[in-house]
Amino acid sequence: MIRSIGDIARSDLLLRALVEAVVVGALGGVIGVHIVLRRLPFTVMALTHATFPGVVLAGILGLNLIAGSAAFGVVVVVLLWVVSRRRELDTSTATGVILAGGFATGVLLFSAQSGFDRDLTSYLVGSVLTVSTADVVATAVIASAVVGALVLIGGPLTFSAFDRIGAEAAGVPVVYLDLAVLLLIELALVVSVPTVGIILSVSLLVAPAATARLWVDRIGASMWLAALLGATAGAVGIVISQAAGTAAGATIAVVAGGGFALSVIGSPRHGLLARRRVAARSFAG
Amino acid sequence: MRHFFVEPFQYGFMQRALVVSLVIGAVGGIVGSYVVLRRISFFADTLTHTVFPGVAIAFVTGHSLWLGALVAGVASALLFSLATTNRRVDDDAAMAILLTTFFAVGVMVVSRVESYTNDLLVLLFGRVLTVDRADIVSTVAIGAVALCIVGALHKELVFRAFDPEGAEAAGYSPLLLDIALNLAVTLVVVAALQAVGTVLVIALLVTPAATSRLVTRGLGTMIAVGAAVGMAAAYLGLVISFSASVDHGVRLATGATIVVVLTVGFTLVAAATWLRRRPAVAA
Amino acid sequence: MIPALELDDVCVAFDDVRVLDGVTATVEAGDSVALIGPNGAGKSTLLRAILGLVPVTDGHIRVLGTTPRLARRQVAYVPQADTLDSEFPVSVLQVVLMGRFREVGWIRRPGRADRAAALDALGQVGLADRAHDRFGVLSGGQRQRVLLARALCQKARLLLLDEPFNGVDSSTQELFLEVLARQREAGVAIVMPTHDLTVAHLACGDACLLNQRQYGFGPIGDVLSPDALRATYESQALLRPGDEVILTDHHHHL
Repeated sequence: MIRSIGDIARSDLLLRALVEAVVVGALGGVIGVHIVLRRLPFTVMALTHATFPGVVLAGILGLNLIAGSAAFGVVVVVLLWVVSRRRELDTSTATGVILAGGFATGVLLFSAQSGFDRDLTSYLVGSVLTVSTADVVATAVIASAVVGALVLIGGPLTFSAFDRIGAEAAGVPVVYLDLAVLLLIELALVVSVPTVGIILSVSLLVAPAATARLWVDRIGASMWLAALLGATAGAVGIVISQAAGTAAGATIAVVAGGGFALSVIGSPRHGLLARRRVAARSFAG
Repeated sequence: MRHFFVEPFQYGFMQRALVVSLVIGAVGGIVGSYVVLRRISFFADTLTHTVFPGVAIAFVTGHSLWLGALVAGVASALLFSLATTNRRVDDDAAMAILLTTFFAVGVMVVSRVESYTNDLLVLLFGRVLTVDRADIVSTVAIGAVALCIVGALHKELVFRAFDPEGAEAAGYSPLLLDIALNLAVTLVVVAALQAVGTVLVIALLVTPAATSRLVTRGLGTMIAVGAAVGMAAAYLGLVISFSASVDHGVRLATGATIVVVLTVGFTLVAAATWLRRRPAVAA
Repeated sequence: MIPALELDDVCVAFDDVRVLDGVTATVEAGDSVALIGPNGAGKSTLLRAILGLVPVTDGHIRVLGTTPRLARRQVAYVPQADTLDSEFPVSVLQVVLMGRFREVGWIRRPGRADRAAALDALGQVGLADRAHDRFGVLSGGQRQRVLLARALCQKARLLLLDEPFNGVDSSTQELFLEVLARQREAGVAIVMPTHDLTVAHLACGDACLLNQRQYGFGPIGDVLSPDALRATYESQALLRPGDEVILTDHHHHL
């Protein structure tokens, strides 16, 4: 183990990858708390898939990838937001249609411009090992902005998640908060997709937060814990992937998922083992 | 017209691609009707991703893809049930984590093989233009089993979708019915591996039935129209991608074209029904 | 004759929380019991326990002389219609036929005899002419009638109806009372949670007061005394001069 870490310290490339993974992991954890709270994992899946055409378009037109995918992402966000507000449409079905249709559009554009000769996998599974210093800086800046925004609107956000009607009655602009959350998620995706890819970015946006929920109760504390768990998953994932020779993004996702699984079983208060002990005790008398 | 719609199929490979695509279109439309009625699009999407590592491992070790998919499907269904017994775990979060973790395992497995890009792409996106007779047979066979499952359990699946409480009270185990539908979905994913791969098969399960739902009123018609939409999109997708390639020199991935056709169709139908439903403005 | 339902000190707990405790009652064929108590009292849990969907932690339940699971064929459940999706592409007749599915068995489709039984049940609730309409286009009261017809189709010996009079129009209410009376004459036993004390008096001969534990069971006139109601509903019942009790839970009054 020490040898790998030493190797990483000596390699600029790996160091950048490590920092990027840690920042993306922490960001995922923080915003993930709200994603889990507001039952948005499926919507986030749709966001990651439907934003893909934007990345491809940006690539074709020679635009900056982050700007391109962000711009397209805004369109998708608005679409999903509109869909979720229409009552006669079944939201989960419509989200599924958008998810698949958006992604297929991206694949279509991608194949049109060069067949599959270029590496599609970097979109799917990320390419954290090829991040530049500029990328890392951009990630850190955007991450700070997102976290800052979340801290700012955190109160009303939590209120509207727990008691939408009450919040609305109290004058909280719940509809616009929904939109704001989606936009912030899109921003987080814009930096995490290049790192871990489309499908696996959902892992960092959900797993650390869901894990934190099994250990702590209060939102504030869970945001800190989720950030820590996400950052750890990022770092550990990079180290293991180097040692085992596996794809970095995928390894990070497996670490994050593994952490969740262990917590589901072993968490002292909410884990399955703990609840069995409690149940056994209450009927022993 | 003939040139566009009929001539592509003078070639053997296009004929075979058509047969496979039509079968998948129909089976997806039918099985997908139950997915849409039960509102489990996310879970179906989860299944398509969790099946991937099973398929990947089977592919890499030279075993039957269908067996790999089945094992992975069963494992993920069990883990999902286990995770959601915990009150602190939402269904949505559990599915997302299951989906991404399993998928990541699949990627890790494939990535350990040198230059894995090509194999990964085939598994993920299919390769319908290179199917052979054996592929047709296996697609039809697996699709038929999926149809048998939903056909045999049709009335119970509908009962559960419409009135889960009442169905349970009548003595139908929700778990067993869900497992049956999940099994049918897993089979569709495996059958569709050639045509569209694992990433896009969710479109074949959800979009035709969703489109059909918008324009039909009865149950039987919804399922039948779903199958028809699936088949029509498969056909159109094939001719469009063929024409683009041969007549215009633009390479369009076949599976993706089929899905885009489906999505455009859904959008048009959704827009039309929405416009029709808006109340007339009073003079 | 075997009692339709025997509850013997029934207790149900989830994790370590007791949601039902000490429920004891005997329901004979042709009896009709109102389950009365505030929201969260455990009425739905009791129904689920009778159906065998929820395990009993202590005590026993015997349905028609056997365990709840084995008796399920003879027990019909009528849920509240507003929990169902009104956009679902299913016809009135198809919904009623669902009551015959167990009879039809696996894989087979309902046959002529089943359709005849379903139409007959629809006739009993006055909706035979709407058999082919989509379920969702009917009014709330009509939908509730369809669900009752579904249960009648089953030819059960025990009917469980979850708040059947909730929010239905008066003609539906009358119809329900008639149908239930006829069922009782035929020897069918009825158990129904309800908030409406007036209706409980009209439809039921017995009552069971529940609020996590049993506060009384017996003939409805005896059991529904103001004191007993107040004890059951605790702060949610007000005693007004002249022994009139108002239950502030769910805005229903006597």
